[in-house]
Amino acid sequence: MTVVEVLVRLALVLAAFLVFPLVIGQTEHKVMGHMQARVGPIYAGAFHGWAQLVADGVKFAQKEDVVPAGADRRVFRLAPAIALIPYMVVLIAIPVGSGDLVGRSIDAGVFFVLAVMGVGVLGSLMGGWASANKFSLLGSLRTAAQLMAYELPMLLAGASVAMAAGTLSLTGILGQWEWWWLPWQAVGGVVFFTAGLAELQRPPFDMPVADSEIIFGAYTEYTGLRFALFLLAEYAGILVLCALTTVLFLGGWHGPWSDDLGWLWTLLKTGVLAFVVIWLRVSYPRLREDQLQKLAWTGLIPLALAQLVLTGVVRVAIA
Amino acid sequence: MSRIPGAGLAKGLAVTLKTMTKRSVTQGYPEVLPELPPRSRGVIALFEENCTVCMLCARECPDWCIYIDSHKEVVPAKEPGARDRTRNVLDRFAIDFALCMYCGICVEVCPFDALFWSPEFEYATDDIQALTHEKDTLREWMWTVPAPPPLDERAEEPKELAMARRNAAKLAKELEQEQPQGREPNGPASPGGDA
Amino acid sequence: MTAGLAAATVAAADLSGRGGPGFLSPTGAEVAFVLIGLVVLGSALLVVTTSQIVHAALWLVVTLGGLAAEYLLLTAEFIAWVQVLIYIGAVVVLLLFGLMLTRAPIGRSTELDSLKRWPAVLVAVGATATLLTVVVDAFHSAYLDLGKTDDGSARVTGESLFRVWVLPFEVLSVLLLAALIGAIVLSRGRADADGKGR
Repeated sequence: MTVVEVLVRLALVLAAFLVFPLVIGQTEHKVMGHMQARVGPIYAGAFHGWAQLVADGVKFAQKEDVVPAGADRRVFRLAPAIALIPYMVVLIAIPVGSGDLVGRSIDAGVFFVLAVMGVGVLGSLMGGWASANKFSLLGSLRTAAQLMAYELPMLLAGASVAMAAGTLSLTGILGQWEWWWLPWQAVGGVVFFTAGLAELQRPPFDMPVADSEIIFGAYTEYTGLRFALFLLAEYAGILVLCALTTVLFLGGWHGPWSDDLGWLWTLLKTGVLAFVVIWLRVSYPRLREDQLQKLAWTGLIPLALAQLVLTGVVRVAIA
Repeated sequence: MSRIPGAGLAKGLAVTLKTMTKRSVTQGYPEVLPELPPRSRGVIALFEENCTVCMLCARECPDWCIYIDSHKEVVPAKEPGARDRTRNVLDRFAIDFALCMYCGICVEVCPFDALFWSPEFEYATDDIQALTHEKDTLREWMWTVPAPPPLDERAEEPKELAMARRNAAKLAKELEQEQPQGREPNGPASPGGDA
Repeated sequence: MTAGLAAATVAAADLSGRGGPGFLSPTGAEVAFVLIGLVVLGSALLVVTTSQIVHAALWLVVTLGGLAAEYLLLTAEFIAWVQVLIYIGAVVVLLLFGLMLTRAPIGRSTELDSLKRWPAVLVAVGATATLLTVVVDAFHSAYLDLGKTDDGSARVTGESLFRVWVLPFEVLSVLLLAALIGAIVLSRGRADADGKGR
């Protein structure tokens, strides 16, 4: 790989990182609107409000960057970057199409993506603690508790796929993928997706930012661009989670004419999953803190373990 | 309630998905004006010609937002020997819509049908003083007052109409008696009489 | 303790990196290794010297992340990502959770310095010296050609873990199980006491 090629790949990943979260955000505006019998943004950019998020970005950039007087300034300022950058790093490892259509193929890809995604939560923790605000601190605590509960089922579900494929590399997993893995790994897929939603603090798992109780959790004191970065991190997280679920459980670029249109299949599946994320947000109320913990420890972890057993049994039976 | 576990969850998803496929109920207000129901309380219009400066509206107004100034004018007697008459002339009629609470008591209380509800609502300003509207503006709003809604089927005829019809019939009969070979009275059949 | 371990790692890595050919003309990876090692050492020192307790936890993140980067440079990709996943993603988050749940004041805490500082330094220096001696003795002039080896790959790690080191691995898991059961017993015991107290 030449230097130019590496730069081109990084530029493409960066472009995807900047564009797709905005697309998801705009889709969320419109889909949420229509699901609530509204039209969503309609003015900005003239055509169905396509430029709404651009306008939002400009607005955020104009706002004053406030750091509370009692805050720990350095940590407070650093937190949004910690929250955002891991998702960008993860995108590098996600294969988009067959062959070499990936930012960088990583040997222990599954562990890489899960490990780096887990780091992003540190941003919320740092921000919440450094804000010197009791609501922020509560939000951080809830974030941490939620992460610890849901990291395990997510890992177990990911491990099940790695076990099925006999490799930890994301490209390797896709290389092994057969259509009947869909029903075989279905439970693991549901567990992975649900746990991922919880890790992103998306509704119905948005207890850490429950606005009726703790305003906006760890992000309460943030304004302007730093706040926008946290929001961007959330949408980048949706992109990463959906792309990862696609790759691990839905066969990524596999599909009819996948030799030429593999990347389209990946995008399509990711898009459908992103729609599901939005759909769930509109449909379900927020889970209470104890319900959250109960779902993880008594629901998802046993399911993930059962999936592991099933994977192992089938794998041995085939061999 | 549901036997199958997760049926409620699926139902929730179905509801939102169904709503998404339906037309949204959002009104594109600045481009598309809303269809307001009859008797919408947008603004109070003044039919100046009917006003006799009786001051009832100003006195009944709970928050005293109606300002009326007037003077008396002498109308000279038409016949010699008769007394001159005086007449009230309206100088100022203003409603402060910053104070008005849209209770509509003034409209109800006006004995001469000089005040009306208009559905016009786009008179917001950024200056609270500008919300006091004088009689020329109030008179202009009179043009936006819709025709009274049609009466219910089989409702009693309004008293004014019944009275006018009775007078017309009487006049017609008198005319007929004066000219026995005259036209037939053309008073219409009383409404509701044949139902 | 952490500082001592980090120092030991750095020193050991230095020795193993420079012990082979190219002693005077280090490769880019070797230079990066030493630089990251210095960062790890510095942040590890900050972990134990900073007077802000949450900052110590955050410096620990830097230390552990730096160690993961060192593993990466040694082509031990799997170990590196597990390091990030377990230590940064779980242990530090748990640490921060515990701190925030109990007390995590913003600003300096004076009571963090205790009189046991000098014994602690003594123990740290002793541990460092022991580890240095052991590591230097074990890998005296070993040289790892990073371009050719795949000693750090997931396959090799897994094979050595489950073939050669399977007994220690299982013993470790028994230890974790014991800790788990202990935690359950402790929490249940307290719940019972609470119930009787009422």
